[in-house]
Amino acid sequence: MIRTARAGVTVAFVGALALALALVLGACGSSSSSSVSSSGLKTPKTESPTAGKRGGTLTVLNHGDFENLDPGVAYFLNDYEMVYATQRPLFSYEPNTFSKQTPDMASGPAEISADGKTVTVHIRHGVHFSPPVNREVTSADVAYAFDRGANPNVANPYIQSYFSSVEGAEKASGGPIPGITTPDRYTIVFHLTEPKGQLVADALALPLSAPVPEEYAKKYDAKKPSEYGNYQVATGPYMLKADSEGKVLGIGYQPGKSATLVRNPNWSPSADFRPAYLDEIDIKIGGDTNVIGRQVLEGSHEVQNDTPAASIVQLAYEKFRSQLQISPGAGDHYIAVNNKKGPFSNVDVRKAFWAGLDRTAMNKARGGSLVTDVQTHFLYPEIPGFEDAGGLVGPKVDYNEHPEGDMAIAEKYMKLAGYPSGKYTGTNTLEIVGSTGDPAPEDAEIANNTLRSLGFKTKLSLVDHSVMYAKYCGVPAEEIDVCPNVAWGADFGDGQTVLDPTFNGKSIIPSGNNNWGQVNDPTINAAMEKAELILGSEARAKAWAAIDRELVAEAVAIPYDWDKTPSVESKDVAGVGDLWNSGAWDYSFTSLK
Amino acid sequence: MTRYIIRRLLWGVALLILVSALTFVLFRILPTGEPARLRAGRLATPKVIAAIRSDLGLNKPLIVQFWLYMKGIFLHFNLGYSYYSSASVKSLIANRLGATLSLTFGAAVIWLLSGVAVGIISGVRRGSKLDRGTMGTALVLISAPEYWLGLIALYLFAADIGQLKVFPGAGSYVGLTGDPSRWFTSLILPWLVLAATNAAIYARLIRGSLIDAMGEDYIRTARAKGLSERRVVLRHGVRSAINPIMTILGLDIGVLLGGAVLVETVFDIPGIGRLNYDAITHSDFPIIQGTVLIAALFIIVANIVVDVAYAYLDPRVRYS
Repeated sequence: MIRTARAGVTVAFVGALALALALVLGACGSSSSSSVSSSGLKTPKTESPTAGKRGGTLTVLNHGDFENLDPGVAYFLNDYEMVYATQRPLFSYEPNTFSKQTPDMASGPAEISADGKTVTVHIRHGVHFSPPVNREVTSADVAYAFDRGANPNVANPYIQSYFSSVEGAEKASGGPIPGITTPDRYTIVFHLTEPKGQLVADALALPLSAPVPEEYAKKYDAKKPSEYGNYQVATGPYMLKADSEGKVLGIGYQPGKSATLVRNPNWSPSADFRPAYLDEIDIKIGGDTNVIGRQVLEGSHEVQNDTPAASIVQLAYEKFRSQLQISPGAGDHYIAVNNKKGPFSNVDVRKAFWAGLDRTAMNKARGGSLVTDVQTHFLYPEIPGFEDAGGLVGPKVDYNEHPEGDMAIAEKYMKLAGYPSGKYTGTNTLEIVGSTGDPAPEDAEIANNTLRSLGFKTKLSLVDHSVMYAKYCGVPAEEIDVCPNVAWGADFGDGQTVLDPTFNGKSIIPSGNNNWGQVNDPTINAAMEKAELILGSEARAKAWAAIDRELVAEAVAIPYDWDKTPSVESKDVAGVGDLWNSGAWDYSFTSLK
Repeated sequence: MTRYIIRRLLWGVALLILVSALTFVLFRILPTGEPARLRAGRLATPKVIAAIRSDLGLNKPLIVQFWLYMKGIFLHFNLGYSYYSSASVKSLIANRLGATLSLTFGAAVIWLLSGVAVGIISGVRRGSKLDRGTMGTALVLISAPEYWLGLIALYLFAADIGQLKVFPGAGSYVGLTGDPSRWFTSLILPWLVLAATNAAIYARLIRGSLIDAMGEDYIRTARAKGLSERRVVLRHGVRSAINPIMTILGLDIGVLLGGAVLVETVFDIPGIGRLNYDAITHSDFPIIQGTVLIAALFIIVANIVVDVAYAYLDPRVRYS
């Protein structure tokens, strides 16, 4: 799960990441070569999650505030680091993986029936809620977490996406969901209307499955919107500092200013896989990224848990390399082209655009090889199926083999598309809508120039990132031809969460549409329908890798960037980043030296 | 005078209503991220978005939303609740006001004292090396962006990342009641940075006004009566030259009380400006409306205070 996954494609994420990455180029890749040695750099895979020293207070300097701390709502990177330190979903990931889930509140793996229509999970004994609730967690608390997720006052963003096959979930509005039963205090069963057991089991790693005590939360969930987040109780090793009534707002969390995590007195290390070395985590919110990054690098016992400024990444790379972590698998950026209408409804025109585009130039604009890889297909590194789909090199098709762009191949495909000169000769003027905020305009301009080289007349507009999605690229009726700055990331480690929302014809909706290119290929749709029902992680990975290859064969979009995220820490911090969360520092595994 | 003040106050209220209406309309009509969509996440179905819109009251007709908002403000002084944290906007603003007041008034004292002093000296010694030096420096300071100046100040003088490690750095601000000594030291750099540009502007303004005033007939008369040059300058010249300063001082303080976004951000001071900035990036309308309204209130009040002060400072001005 990477930040773009939960945040979707938010202004904050793309803006911050883009800003951070744009000028790293100057530090490590602005020359002719974009290949930068990353030796000496930490990644979540190289950090030891179990060799920490117990005790101490970690100070976190963040530029951005949390979006929502209620486990039933949270879906942003910063929110996740807080939520996974304080809450225990049924499953979660250890820091160094995005492909293998670990039972968290669950006592073992999910049991999926042979017909794929029943998912049974047994939960741990002896896990207690933090004060003021204090009692032991039961399966009914997990069931209530789902019930409230469907409550409009909570409105969990994923319940209709990944749990709609649970009986009664689609019509649920806060009351008990008929398809979720609790035969005993430690067992919860999900009854499905379709054989989507594997998808549901995988989605149990979302914070939605973290238990919530109904008798305590109900009065807060009755508010519009729910105020449970401001009175939340914890099951994880840490809790937000609270008063005796459980109130967090103004005590453990001051919006825009600070948050304080302290140890949960009811947490038992014997019932958890997290070491939880730190005694306290003080989070300061709102500093300038150019300042707080430097404070972290030169200071003591500090980390920054949102994306550092470009100048800080450059400084860290040059002078504090052991304090810089680069995490792969942080999502992708690609160019969405209108598959339904206009010139790009022709597959050969799409291939021509792909072939002619200088993807290395676009990556340099985003910061070079330290923080990007040239994207060659749609599943991205660390997502199961990535290697099967072609790995870093990608499928061997001529329009994909020259990342720096090859106009001869591009012209070949233009000829195949019916333009004998190799240039577009139609009358259409392409409507291109990109995003403001560096380096998006530079990427958009490179795409625009490629299209002009292919003979297109273009009209390029740059708007605010959220406006780009809300008013243009996410609204099919606007009939935008090219959206050069769209981005995506997985919700959990499964190829479906990368490819289905963005390329399945069934995902096209009138507004808030994520299938920006309106890709609606019956063969691909059918393959996705089939893959969705496959049981077993390996088989699913292979199926979604095969779909990825089909997407490349149809050139449904023009990929250009796989993101890697930089993070910084002080010299006396043994930071452990979460591969599944764009490398964000994990408070339950990080320790002080 | 009393009638004048009452009339200005009533106009102030009317202006506040107008500002509220404009803010309300602008943030709902101009293209922007819809709060319900932003909050719902990227995979939200239309059903979920509709539910959130209903919860936030965004499905009501605009006029009804506006009426409820205005009723809340003027009858209950209720500015609404944040879409994200569900915290009361009134409490969020109250929580930030101390930092903004501290920053603004401290900086105002510095820029007023230094700007006026430099302006008078330059005006009196027009054409001297001192005049040219101070006015040149003023030009540089006016041209320097606050954000850049703040970064330079931190890189030079901050105790954590500075070269000279003199003053507490970014993020060191605490409230006056929490630790008065730390409050004062943590604000020295922000005060100086915020005051620098304004001091330069004030110095240039007062220099120009003073030069004009010193050429007036009443100055010649004062000199002819045998008054000392110091008395002529301070009692007659400066008193006249100070009026334009009063006008912009009121406006500057009003604007800064609405939030000094850049300085608050660079120095990590949790004031109203940063609250507003964060709200804009999240389309958190209730906070945007609340902070804009507070800023407008400060500007209107500051203007009224300036106008009244005029009457006392300048014998030629009398209101009826």
